[in-house]
Amino acid sequence: MRQARVLYHLMRADFLERVRRYSFLVTLALATWLGWAVSTGKIKLWISDIRGIYNSAWVGVLMAMVVNFFIALAGFYVVKNSIERDRRTGVGQILATTPLSKPLYTLGKALSNLAVLLAMVAVLAVMAVVAQFVVGEDTHVQLGPLLAPILVFCVPAMALVAAFAVLFETIPFLKGGFGNVVWFFAYVSVIPLAIKGHQDPLGMGPVTSSLFAAVKRVFGITTTSFVLGGIDREANARTFRWEGMDWTGEILLGRLAWLALAVGVTLVAALLFDRFDTSRSWAPSRGRQKAGGADNGLVPALAAEAAPIPVHLHPLPAGSRRFRFFDLLRAELRLLLKGQRWWWYMVAAGLIIAGFAVPEEGRKIVLPLAWMWPILLWSPMGNREARFATDGLVFSAAWPLQRQLPATWLAGVLLALVTGGGVGLRLALTGHWAGLGAWLVGALFIPTFALALGVWSGSGKLFEAVYLFLWYIGPLNQTRPLDFMGVVPAAVKAGVPLAWLAATVALGVAGVVGRRRQVG
Amino acid sequence: MRLTIEGVGKRYKGNFWGLKDFTLDLGPGVLGLLGPNGAGKSTLMRILATITKPTQGRALWNGVDVARSPDELRSGLGYLPQDFGVYPNLNAVEFLEYMAAVKGLDGGAARRRIDELLVLVNLTEARKRPLGGYSGGMKQRIGIAQALLNDPQLLIVDEPTVGLDPEERVRFRNLLSDLGGERIVILSTHIVSDVEATATGIALIDQGRLLTHAAPEELLRRVEGKVWEWVIPSAELPAAREKWKISNAIRRGDGVHARVVSAQPPVADATPVPPSLEDAYLAVLEGSRAREAA
Repeated sequence: MRQARVLYHLMRADFLERVRRYSFLVTLALATWLGWAVSTGKIKLWISDIRGIYNSAWVGVLMAMVVNFFIALAGFYVVKNSIERDRRTGVGQILATTPLSKPLYTLGKALSNLAVLLAMVAVLAVMAVVAQFVVGEDTHVQLGPLLAPILVFCVPAMALVAAFAVLFETIPFLKGGFGNVVWFFAYVSVIPLAIKGHQDPLGMGPVTSSLFAAVKRVFGITTTSFVLGGIDREANARTFRWEGMDWTGEILLGRLAWLALAVGVTLVAALLFDRFDTSRSWAPSRGRQKAGGADNGLVPALAAEAAPIPVHLHPLPAGSRRFRFFDLLRAELRLLLKGQRWWWYMVAAGLIIAGFAVPEEGRKIVLPLAWMWPILLWSPMGNREARFATDGLVFSAAWPLQRQLPATWLAGVLLALVTGGGVGLRLALTGHWAGLGAWLVGALFIPTFALALGVWSGSGKLFEAVYLFLWYIGPLNQTRPLDFMGVVPAAVKAGVPLAWLAATVALGVAGVVGRRRQVG
Repeated sequence: MRLTIEGVGKRYKGNFWGLKDFTLDLGPGVLGLLGPNGAGKSTLMRILATITKPTQGRALWNGVDVARSPDELRSGLGYLPQDFGVYPNLNAVEFLEYMAAVKGLDGGAARRRIDELLVLVNLTEARKRPLGGYSGGMKQRIGIAQALLNDPQLLIVDEPTVGLDPEERVRFRNLLSDLGGERIVILSTHIVSDVEATATGIALIDQGRLLTHAAPEELLRRVEGKVWEWVIPSAELPAAREKWKISNAIRRGDGVHARVVSAQPPVADATPVPPSLEDAYLAVLEGSRAREAA
């Protein structure tokens, strides 16, 4: 009983702390927008050219799929900060000295994550009713068929997202930006499972199996593929009335199994959780301390050295205050690259060479990879000062807008030019000027995007999540309008890079405006 | 060199005034900013450091409004905030080189300055260690070093001795005294002895308002003959606390030596003692609060 009370208060405090932030309102607004996109037909579910009439059953299952498709990805980035917040605010140090057990703590954090995710799901559930009325094909609301798919499919999926967010925060190499990248690829690899009709964590398998069976029954068509998105097939659409899922024991047990797995993941997180013992995460693991010199706050020579030193500071010689942009750019580059290991540079060099060596077809793979590799170097741009609390120091220096911000941006651009340099050089040497222009737009767009999102969000996470999504859908899957690197020749011919150049300029302005707000 | 604060106020959300109608005129020297928690010291410092803008009034640096032309001041400003961070992957030299570049210092001069500052803050031994492995006191010393990088004309330090060991605290006090001769230093702290050791002027703040601005000698003169000490048995201390506002109580072999600021002797056998700055601070604060209550 006492433990349940502790768990409740852990979850409650964490949840309240989150929902009272402005960013939570933004999150709910985005969820509402997603729901509205479903209501207005911008996101639809198609099986070939067939869709269901918008009755409660169809809208419920459509919304459940939208939740699990989009919120399972984006929601992870929204909630993956609960332990980090305790670490940053120092609350963790206090909690560590209480009798609170590690499993209880991770469980509390997972439940708080789940509560935040379910708040988003609740918004979308309401929007499901709205969708039924907006489309107006069947306005008779049946709460059972409408809510059942959302509850059965979304709650276990969200519980898994909540649990994995906690797990990632307890694993040192996954708690930062690398974990964000890993989650994206883990998510992307789950989708094929769903399409093949397995008991996948997103619950798409049972839904699509049921829908495929219904389509076969009504239209006599055997199909194993579906589209969830903005493709409009309304002109030749065929519709049918779908009365909802046949809730078999297998489906329900399958969903319960995922829920149980979420609890299991949370308990694994408890095993890995360092209980805010910073000595386990900093100096010793980096192997930079000399033997016997491990950090304990004491410098052995301090006492002997202190006494005889005169306390006088000489004035700076005249002419010392001579700002050189190159010095600042070099310092920003060092900040950008600091901490990278030798193998990071080896891979980057390999991608540069490959970019130069491969012909045009290979470029479609190599350039996206070359500009994915430095993602964690770009993501701190614009938010490094907030993240490390150096804003008071950096922004009180002269002309931060005219000096430090351009230097940060240019360092990011130089990184893009160098890491994608092999491709750029080959394009220049082979006279592919349009391709070179598109490549240059890509090199300008990525750091500008990182900087703007970093300044406005105060974190690198938004850039990591959105850039990964854009990168995957655009250049990697060669979706023309989203090809911001110029890897699709048809997109270059159609002038898509010009649109990305305009976006770059707009993002640049947004970055400057945001930083102006910060520097006062 | 002149820093003029004219009727500055800062309103926060919920119509709460962190600072109200604050006026002060400063020349070279060390100004000790004293006040209880939430008095408005950090708000004032953030305004003067151009981090935030005042809701009303203005602060002038050599006649130029710092809110309108912040960069005029920033090029000659050294600022150590109460809470600040460092980049954990950089070592001390790299971090200071970065800050020197941000502050617009020439590369060669910056390197020489960094060497001198690292000696000054006693971090030469740890200069190549990543800052992520530094203790709180060591980080504080890096903060002090970065504030002095550009030989600032205006140095603003907010609780600078927090986390420093006694030896480093003494060293920093001496440094402030040394620096105060040719620039304006604003030192905010709760530690009265830090101010006692360094300040040429003291500003007392409470509830966002300036209570008084005077030289330490002047403040001490105001309580001259009004500080009393007497000895009471330990058991009587709680009752004495109820009756008088005891500013200090030290247990000695003969009982508790109780100290109180009062115009009249609290008891017949109380003896007048030389006042400390802490006595003066408490007297001003109590007087102001009593007037407010009345």
